[in-house]
Amino acid sequence: MAVAPIEPSKELADVEQASTKARNDTVFRLSKYILRRILAAIATVTVGVYLTVLIANMGGALDDIRRAVIQEEIANFVAIQALEDPALKAMSQEQRNEMVAQQVALAEKRFGLDQPFAIRSFRALGSAMTLNLGFADNMTSDSGSRLIRNIILERLPATLVLMGTGLLMLFFLTLFGGLALSRRYGSWLDKAIIGLAPTSAAPSWFYALFFIVIFAALLNWLPFGGMVSAPPPETTWGYAKSLAFHMIIPVGAIVINAVFSGIYSQRTFFLAFASEDYVDMAKAKGLPDNLVERRYILRPTLPPIITSFAFVLLALWGGSIVLETVMNWPGLGNTYGQAIGQFDTAVIISLTVLDAYLLTFTLLILDIMYAIVDPRVRVGEGSSGR
Amino acid sequence: MNNNETTDLLRVRDLKLHFRVKSGAVQAVDGVNFDLPKNQATVILGESGCGKSSLAKAILRLLPKNVDHYSGEVFLNNQDIMKLSDEQFRKDIRWQRIAMVPQAALNSLNPVMRVGDQVAEPILLDGKLTKKEAMELALEKFDQVGVPADFLYRYAFELSGGMRQRVAIAMSLITEPEMVLLDEPTSALDVLTQANIMNLLKRFKAEKKASFILITHDIATSSELADNVAVMYAGQVVEVSDAHNFFTEPLHPYSKALMDSVPRLYGEMQPDFISGQPPSLLKPPTGCRFADRCPARFERCSDEPPVFNMSDGRKVKCWLHESDSVSAESNPDTWEEMYAKS
Repeated sequence: MAVAPIEPSKELADVEQASTKARNDTVFRLSKYILRRILAAIATVTVGVYLTVLIANMGGALDDIRRAVIQEEIANFVAIQALEDPALKAMSQEQRNEMVAQQVALAEKRFGLDQPFAIRSFRALGSAMTLNLGFADNMTSDSGSRLIRNIILERLPATLVLMGTGLLMLFFLTLFGGLALSRRYGSWLDKAIIGLAPTSAAPSWFYALFFIVIFAALLNWLPFGGMVSAPPPETTWGYAKSLAFHMIIPVGAIVINAVFSGIYSQRTFFLAFASEDYVDMAKAKGLPDNLVERRYILRPTLPPIITSFAFVLLALWGGSIVLETVMNWPGLGNTYGQAIGQFDTAVIISLTVLDAYLLTFTLLILDIMYAIVDPRVRVGEGSSGR
Repeated sequence: MNNNETTDLLRVRDLKLHFRVKSGAVQAVDGVNFDLPKNQATVILGESGCGKSSLAKAILRLLPKNVDHYSGEVFLNNQDIMKLSDEQFRKDIRWQRIAMVPQAALNSLNPVMRVGDQVAEPILLDGKLTKKEAMELALEKFDQVGVPADFLYRYAFELSGGMRQRVAIAMSLITEPEMVLLDEPTSALDVLTQANIMNLLKRFKAEKKASFILITHDIATSSELADNVAVMYAGQVVEVSDAHNFFTEPLHPYSKALMDSVPRLYGEMQPDFISGQPPSLLKPPTGCRFADRCPARFERCSDEPPVFNMSDGRKVKCWLHESDSVSAESNPDTWEEMYAKS
C-alpha cells in the first residue's frame, strides 16, 4: 500500500463533531431509558411484595387464626391463674369473661389486629418495602437478637464468601474453558468434556458428601464441615487460613457440580457465534487470532455473558440450602432451612422479599448494562437508515 | 503445464479443497485452473453447490475446521502464495494484496462496532497510521463508493442492505489491494441496488483500481463486468474463455445450457432449464462430470476429458472439441495412467 501523507480534512472534523452531538443525544436517550427502567422496577417490586404479603397472610385468613390463638391463650391464662389468685377466684364467670374480652382487645390492638386486613396489608407492604423486617416468630440470631435483620446480616457474610468463591470460580472457568474448547472443537479433550457433562445431574451437596467421605473420613486431610476451626484462630491470617481450609470441600463441590456442563454449553455457544459471517470476514481481513476472538467473538457475545453473570450473582445471595446444611456452614441457606423446619413464617417472608428485591435489582442493572454494551439497544431502532 | 513467468496477476493451478464429512470427503474444489490478467475481471460462473464459494475460500486460505485435502498452486504476481506460512499469509496476503467482498454483507459487519472502525481496521494493523489518518482514508473510500460521511460513526444495523454492501466494498478497497474477490456481491440485493453496485464496480475497473474475481451464478449481471469467464461445474473448471466469445457462443454443453436458462427480453427463444441435479461431490462420476445431464453425450464421455486448447485461446474440458482443438492439456489422472502403461 502506498502511504501518501494524509492531511486532516475539514470534512472528517465536521463528521466527528456531528458524531459527538449524536453521542450526546444518545446519553440523553440512555438516561431516559434508565429512568423508565427504574420506575418499572419499583412498580414490579411493589406488586411482587404485595402479592407475597397477601399469599403469606392467606388473604387475611391468618388474622382469624391469630385472633383465635390470642383469645385461647388469654382465656387459658386466666383460667389457670384463677386456680391460685384469690382476686380472680372471687370474680363471677361473667366478670372473668369480660376481663378476658378486655385483655384480648388490648392484645389485638397491640398487634394491630383491630384494623381490617385491607389496611393492615398495606402497612405490611410498607414495612416490607422499606426492609423493616420486624421480629422472628421463634428464631434468634447467634447473638440472641430476635430482629430478623440481625439474623440475616449475621449469616450473610458466610454465604457471600462461600458462594462468591465457588460461583465466580465456576463462572470464569466455564467462560474461558468454553472459549478454549471451542477452538479445539472435535478434539479428544472436547469429546471428554462432553462425555463428563452429565455429571452435573447430581447436585452439589451429593459431591460434598462424597468429598467428606473421601477427604475427611478416610484420608483425614480436610475438616468435616463448619466455617473455621474451634476455637477460632486469633490472628486475621490464621483465621483466613482456617476459612480457606474449610472452604475446599464446599467450593470444590460447587465447581465440580457444574463445571463440565458449563464448559460444554459455553463451548457450544461460542462455536455458534464463531461461525458468524463477520468472524470469517475478520479473518479474511488478516486480523490476528486473538484480535478476532476479542473484537468479533467475545465483544458481540457480551450481553448473554453478562446475563449469565447476573444470574450467578443472584444465586450467590440466596446461598444453597442443602449444601450449607450438609457442610454445617453458617450461611443464609442454612438459616432458610432452619426457618422452614421451625415454621418461622416471618423469617421465610423476609428472605423471600429480600430475594424479590435482589432479582429486580439485578434485572435493572442488567438492562442498564445491555444498553451500554449493545448499540442496538442503546441507539434504538428506527433512528436512521432502513 | 505452463509455469513460465507471465504478466497475469493471478494464476491458479490444480487447486484442490476437500472437506471431510461423516460419509466421506466432499470434493468442493477439485483441480481448478484459471488466470486473472492485471486490471481485468474474471467471472467464475456456476450454479449453487458447484464449489464457487469454496474456491474463494481456498484462494484466501479461509479454511473450515473439517478440511480433508488442500493443495495446488496459487501464483500472485509469479509468487506461489500457497508456500507461505499461515502467519505470513495472514500478514502479507490477506487484505494487503487480496481483499474480499462477501456474499452476505448484511451479516458480514460486526453488529457492535462502528462501521468506520471496521473499515479502517485493516490499515491500523501494522501500526504505521494513527487512528485519525486511518479514519481519513476510510472517509475517502466512503466518498468513492457513495456512502455519506457520517455513516463512519454508525452501526451496521442502522444501514440499508445496499449501504452495507457499499461499506463492504469500501472496506475491500481501503488497503488498495491488487485483487478483490467478489463472492456474489449482489445476490442478496434488489435489482436497482444490484445495478448501482455493478456500476460502482465497473467504474473501479475502468479506473484500474484493482483486478476483480467475480463469483456469481447471475449470468446477466456478470456479463457487464467480465473480461474473462471461467465456468465451474462439480468442483472443476469446464470452460475458460474471453467474455465476448463466451457470451456469443459458449463451447461446453454446460455453458450452453447455462446461457439458455437466461430469459431474453426480445426474440422467440424460451428459457430452458438443465434437467437433473449436479452430481454429489462426495463421489463424483469417474468420466465427464456433466455426462449424466448432457444432451450431447456419447461413448467417450465415460472417460474424463482433458482440457482442450482452442485456436482462439479458449479452453474447454469436453470431448466434443477434441477434433477442432490445437492441443490438449493432460490432467494429472491421465498422466498417472500413461505412467502405469509404460
